[in-house]
Amino acid sequence: MMAATGGDLGFVRELVETYLADTPVQLEAMAAAVEADDAAALVRPAHTVKSSSASLGAMRLSMRARELEAAGRSGELGPADRAGLEAARSEWVAAADAINAWLDRASAR
Amino acid sequence: MTVTGGRALVVDDSAVNRLILVRLLETLGLTVVQAENGVQALEILAAEPGEVDVVLLDVLMPELDGYETLAAMKAEDATRHIPVLIVSGVEELDSVVRCIELGATDYLPKPINASILAARINASLAAKRLHDVEVALNRTIQRQKEELSRFLSPQIAALVSSPDGEQLLAGHRREITVAFCDLRGFTAFAERADPEELMTLLSQYHRMMGEAITEHGGTLEHFAGDGVMVFFNDPIHQEDHVERAVRMAVAMREEFADLAAGWRQRGYELGFGVGIAVGYATLGRIGFDGRHDYGAIGNVTILASRLSSKATAGQILLSPRAQTMLAEVVESEPVGELMLKGLTQPVLASNVVGMR
Repeated sequence: MMAATGGDLGFVRELVETYLADTPVQLEAMAAAVEADDAAALVRPAHTVKSSSASLGAMRLSMRARELEAAGRSGELGPADRAGLEAARSEWVAAADAINAWLDRASAR
Repeated sequence: MTVTGGRALVVDDSAVNRLILVRLLETLGLTVVQAENGVQALEILAAEPGEVDVVLLDVLMPELDGYETLAAMKAEDATRHIPVLIVSGVEELDSVVRCIELGATDYLPKPINASILAARINASLAAKRLHDVEVALNRTIQRQKEELSRFLSPQIAALVSSPDGEQLLAGHRREITVAFCDLRGFTAFAERADPEELMTLLSQYHRMMGEAITEHGGTLEHFAGDGVMVFFNDPIHQEDHVERAVRMAVAMREEFADLAAGWRQRGYELGFGVGIAVGYATLGRIGFDGRHDYGAIGNVTILASRLSSKATAGQILLSPRAQTMLAEVVESEPVGELMLKGLTQPVLASNVVGMR
């Protein structure tokens, strides 16, 4: 991403800050959908997390979101999907920690 | 990466994806507008008609998704031609196929690769520019046609822009009926009248003549002051071309009587005369490079013109052949043998009394 955008640190900072702000909102929507057993409502937020996480290199979170999107599309949610949501949340915490650590390093430079 | 300028609309509900796309597009030199869903996208397209050169469209969105947005764009004349690139993950090829069937130009795989983006944008902008040139060209042609129909007879304007126009303009022979009309006493009137009065009177006269010509389907060859030449059976075929010419002349004579009564009150004595002849003429483009007219050349035009100059106020003079052809529908009276300028033999002309 740094290469594609010409190594502009200001832009990458804006991008990850947008990601850090937006992803919890999407995860909330995913949790609400799983809670309500509403498969259709799970698709869009899971899709968004899948694609934005892939763009920023958070591949494990992207994979989890992708599985949940597929589950949403299948029309039926099961216990495995509740576990999948928990796994996605853990991946999110790990991804956010890594990004924040990177931001601190970049700011210190 | 040759993209220079252009305006892109990015439609994606994910703020992160929008940010990445906008940044990459701006790096390529485009200006970018953004929408979070299809509803916003359509609002932007409606508010800035003709401004957006390419749309980058996500499929899965709230409010109005990619399919619906695409379908709405393709249903509108103003947005149908704008190239649409579907932004989609590789695992969603089914939706890409569906979008292309709905009219999308191409797709951009996610995560976005800057080189692929540049290539797709280049191709889309080139297609859009070509389309814009075509639209501008069509608009110019349409405008020229409209202008042309203001300067020329509607029939000739239509002929010029018709597929077989070139052939007909190059010249062809056909039997036509020619009617020459002019005013008695016009020269004396023009000497005495104010220019403003002259123009007012001429414009009343031309309006009346124009209506009668149109109503009878005549082709106006020219206006020259008070003189008007009209022919029939070209470029549009008219079985009853002789009768049409006479009916037109009779209608003009009646209308003229009303106009002349008004002018008489203002002290101007003007009369209306017509000459009508039938015969073969060569028709087509006449003139020189830079100024051509659609004209008729032949003895028939000369005969009609000479008859018109012999007609006294209120007379419609027919050539012998026109009189014979219409004996059953037109009541006429012989006016004797006339010696016409440039013709060696006298011509037995008749004056139209009325339609039977």
